[in-house]
Amino acid sequence: MSHACTLQVNGISYPLELDAGRTLLTVLRGELGLTGAKEGCDDSECGACMVLVDGRPVNSCSYLALQADGREITTVEGLAKGGELHPLQAAFLDEGGVQCGFCTPGMLISAEALLRRNPNPSEDEVRLALGGNLCRCTGYQKIARAVLAAAPGANA
Amino acid sequence: MATAAQTKFIRPDGKDKVTGLGRYTADLTMTGMLHACFRYADHAHARIRSIDTAKARALPGVFYVMTDKDVPDVRYGPFVEDRTLFARDVVRYEGEVVAAVAATTPEIAREAAALIDVDYEPLPVVSDVEAALADGAPLVHEGWSGYSASGDVVREGNDASRSTIVKGDVDAALASADAVVKERYVADMSHAVPIEPHAAIAQWQGDRVTVWSSTQVPYIARSGVATTLEIPEGHVRIIVPHLGGGFGGKCEFHYEAHVAALARATDRPVRLVFSRSEEFFAPDHRREGQVIELETGVMNDGTLVARRGRLILDNGAYSADAPFFPQLAAMHAVGPYRIPNVSVDASLAYTNTTPSGSVRAPTAPQACWAVEQHMDSVAASIGMDPVELRRRNILKEGDTTATNQVLEPIGAAETLERAVELIGYGKALPEDEAIGVGCGWWPSFGGPSGAFVKLNGDGSGTIITGAQECGTGAVMALPILVAEELGMRPEDFSILAQDTDAGGWDAGASGSQTTFNNGRAVIEAAREVRAQLLELAEEELEASREDIELVEGAARVKGSPTKSVPITTLADKAQGDRLLLGKGSGSPPPSPDVDASGCTGRLGMETFAAPTFITHAVRVRVDRETGVCRVLEVAASHDCGVILNPVGAEGQVEGGVVMGIGMATLEGSIVGEDGRQRNPHLLDYKLQTSADAPPISIAFVDAPSPYGGPKGSKGTGEPPCVPTPGAIGNAIAQVTGARVHQLPMTPERVWAAAHGVDA
Ligand code: FES
Ligand code: FES
Repeated sequence: MSHACTLQVNGISYPLELDAGRTLLTVLRGELGLTGAKEGCDDSECGACMVLVDGRPVNSCSYLALQADGREITTVEGLAKGGELHPLQAAFLDEGGVQCGFCTPGMLISAEALLRRNPNPSEDEVRLALGGNLCRCTGYQKIARAVLAAAPGANA
Repeated sequence: MATAAQTKFIRPDGKDKVTGLGRYTADLTMTGMLHACFRYADHAHARIRSIDTAKARALPGVFYVMTDKDVPDVRYGPFVEDRTLFARDVVRYEGEVVAAVAATTPEIAREAAALIDVDYEPLPVVSDVEAALADGAPLVHEGWSGYSASGDVVREGNDASRSTIVKGDVDAALASADAVVKERYVADMSHAVPIEPHAAIAQWQGDRVTVWSSTQVPYIARSGVATTLEIPEGHVRIIVPHLGGGFGGKCEFHYEAHVAALARATDRPVRLVFSRSEEFFAPDHRREGQVIELETGVMNDGTLVARRGRLILDNGAYSADAPFFPQLAAMHAVGPYRIPNVSVDASLAYTNTTPSGSVRAPTAPQACWAVEQHMDSVAASIGMDPVELRRRNILKEGDTTATNQVLEPIGAAETLERAVELIGYGKALPEDEAIGVGCGWWPSFGGPSGAFVKLNGDGSGTIITGAQECGTGAVMALPILVAEELGMRPEDFSILAQDTDAGGWDAGASGSQTTFNNGRAVIEAAREVRAQLLELAEEELEASREDIELVEGAARVKGSPTKSVPITTLADKAQGDRLLLGKGSGSPPPSPDVDASGCTGRLGMETFAAPTFITHAVRVRVDRETGVCRVLEVAASHDCGVILNPVGAEGQVEGGVVMGIGMATLEGSIVGEDGRQRNPHLLDYKLQTSADAPPISIAFVDAPSPYGGPKGSKGTGEPPCVPTPGAIGNAIAQVTGARVHQLPMTPERVWAAAHGVDA
C-alpha cells in the first residue's frame, strides 16, 4: 500500500506516493534522480549512501523514505551553491582526497555534519567522525587533511 | 613552464565526483530498461540433473529466463579455457551462474530467480588446496585435459598451473649452512572490495551492442563478449562511466555477455547491479589463499646461501588470469634478496571455491608476508638484527636474481635505510609496542597501448586514450605528460577515455601499467603534434624547426623571445589546412635478459622488468590479553622510479598501506567444508576505517630505470600493499615472542600464538 508524503530535498519539495517499505536511498536514486548517494553494501556498513536528515548524517539505505516526511534532507548534490563548490568539496580536490570518488559523496556529508557541530575538530575527531564511511582507495590520510583544511575554525 | 613534478595536480574528473553529479554504471537508466538477476549454484559441487524454468517464466513482469542452452557453445578463459557463461552439466562453486532472469523490476527478477527449480546430484566438495593435490582427490574438472590452454601452462589433474625456479644446488648449500630455518605459513582467501559493486547495462542497436560496465579492462571485456556470443569485436562497444575502484576485482571479462544476451533476447536494455554479498562470492577475482613452506640456509655472518620453497595457491573452481600466479609467487618466495641457491616449486590447485584472479599485486602480499616473517626467523637463528640481515642480502645494481636477471641501478637498499630512519628503528618503546620491517619487490608490465592527441581550432587539446581510469588518477594525469611535450598547460586538455570505439587498445587498469605504457603512447602522439606545430611555426616565424621551442603556449625562436607565435594562432591556421592530429602506440621498452633455463611453467614472470622495491616499517601495539593489534605508525619507502605525479603516487602508497593493514589484521574469508564463504558481507569482513588507519610517512627513492616507462618511471599502483602484512607480523612477533602463521592475523590467532595454543 502506498502513502502520500512530501520529501524536502536540497530545498525542493517533492510530493510522492510511496510504499511503506521503500528506503530513502532507493527513492532518492530512483524517483528523484539524485544518484549522488551510492549503494555500496547490504548491511549499513559502508556509508556511501549517507545524507543529512535534519542535519544528522544517516545511512539512507537503512532509513525508510516515509520517516523522512516533513524533514529537511541534504544530499551531496545540495552542497555546492550557485555554481560554487562547498569548501569541503574544494578541499577534497586540493588535497587529493578523491580517487575513484565512490565514497566521496558519503564522506562529504559525514564531514559536513561534523563541521556543523564542531567547526574546529582535531585530526582524531575527524577520523572518528568519518569512521562510518569506508574508502578503499585513499587510506584516509588526504581525506582527513581535506576536512581539517576546510574546517571554518582552522583559519580562525 | 612547470615540470611534471612541480605541477599541482587537481584531477580533471574531480568536480564531477565531488558534486555527486558524475555517473557510475549503476546510476544510469535507459528507456524501457529491464533488470537482471542471477540464479547461482545451490551447491559448491554438483551435477545438474535438470533445470525447470516454467514457474519463473510464468511470473508477471518476467521477460526472459536464460540458461546455458540459450548461448553459443563456447568455453573461454585467458590461459585455460575451462569456463562457460552459464553452468553446463556441473556446478563447481557457489557463485556459478545457473540461470539469469530479465524482468521489469529488480524485485521481480529476484523472485523469479528463486522460482527456478534445479535438481542436483551433489558431488564431493574440494575446499582445501592440499587435499586437492593429494593422490585420489576428486577432480574439480574431470575433463581438464580436453580444455584448450596456452602451451606454456603445465597442468595435471587438479593442478591448473605448476611452475618451478631452480638455481644452483640447494641441497648442498643447505647442508653446508651454519643454520637452517624451516617454516610453514597459510594465508586465507581475501578480496579486492572496491566500494562500488559490479554493474553492467547492455543495449543493442541492430546487430551491434553497447555495454556500459564497471570494468577495469574494457578491451578484454569486449573480446569476452565477442568470443562468448560469437559476434565480431567491432560489433561490441564497451563504455566505462566513472569507475568506483577496482583493485583487480573488476579485471577480466565478467558479466557483460550475460546482460548483452538478455538484452538481445528481450529487445530491451538490461541492467545488472550486484549486491555486496554477490561481490564477494561470484566474480572470478578474489585474492587467493596460499600454503607457503620455506626453508632457508644462512651463514653466521648473515649471508643467505639457500632457499627452498613449496607453495600451493588456491585457483578456485575456474582459471581466470591465475595460471601465471605460481611463477609470480615463486619469485616472491625468493624476495628481493641475493640467494645463490634456489629451488621453488609452486602449484595452483583447483578447488570448489570462488575463482582467483589478479587483485592488487597478485600473490605478493601473502607470499611476502610469509617470506618477511621467515627472514626475521632466519635472523633470530643466528642472533642477528633483522634489519642487518636484510641490509647484507638485499639486491643491488649488478646482482643477479634467481632467474639470472642482472639488475640495473635500483634503489632497494635505499628504501630499507629510508624506512628504518623515518620510523626511528631502534628507539625505546613501551613493552607492548614494537617496530617490524618488511621488504618487497614488484615488476612493471610493459605492453602495447594506444592514444591519440589532437589540437582543436581554439588551441585547446583532446587526448583520446584506450587507457582506463580506476581512481588512481593515472589517466587523469596524462595531460601533464602531453602538456610538457607541447609547451602547454595540463588544463588545456580534455580526456576522452573508457570507450572501446574511441581509443586504441590498452590492457586496462591492471598491472600498474597505465602511466608506464599509455604514458608512452600519449607522449608519442604528442610528439607527432609537436612536429606538425613546428612545421607550421617554421613558415610563421621564418626559422628552422631546430631553432624553435614550444613554451608557455607559444612557438618561439630560441634565444629571441619576441619572435614567437601563440599555439592558438597555429591551431586556428591548421583548422583550415592541415589538422593537428597525433597517434601513438609507444612500443614497449626492451626487456632485460634472463636465463630461466632452471624454470618450468614459464609465463613471463621470470623477468622482473623495471622492478620496484619497497620497504615498510611499522610500529604496532599488541594487547597480550586480547590479541588485538593496532598499527600506530607506518613509514613507507618506495623505489618506483621517477615520480611523475606526486599527489597521485602518495595516494597510491597511502591507500595500499591501509589495504595491507586490513589484509594483515582483519580481512579473510571463512570457507566452510561445503565450499561456501561464511562472511560475504562487510559486517564480518571488516575493512579499515579512518579511525583505524595510522599516519603514514612516505619517502620516494628515485632510481630511474632504463627499462622503465616515461622518464624512467615504474609501476606505482600495486606495490604499496606488498610488504605491509609481513612488517606487521614481525612487529607482533617481537611483542609477543610468538609468530602468527596464518593470515589474517586476527586477535584470536595472535592470542593463540602468544599463549601457545591452536587457533
Ligand atoms: S549502502 Fe552501505 S551503508 Fe548504505
Ligand atoms: S576514493 Fe575510492 S572508495 Fe574512496
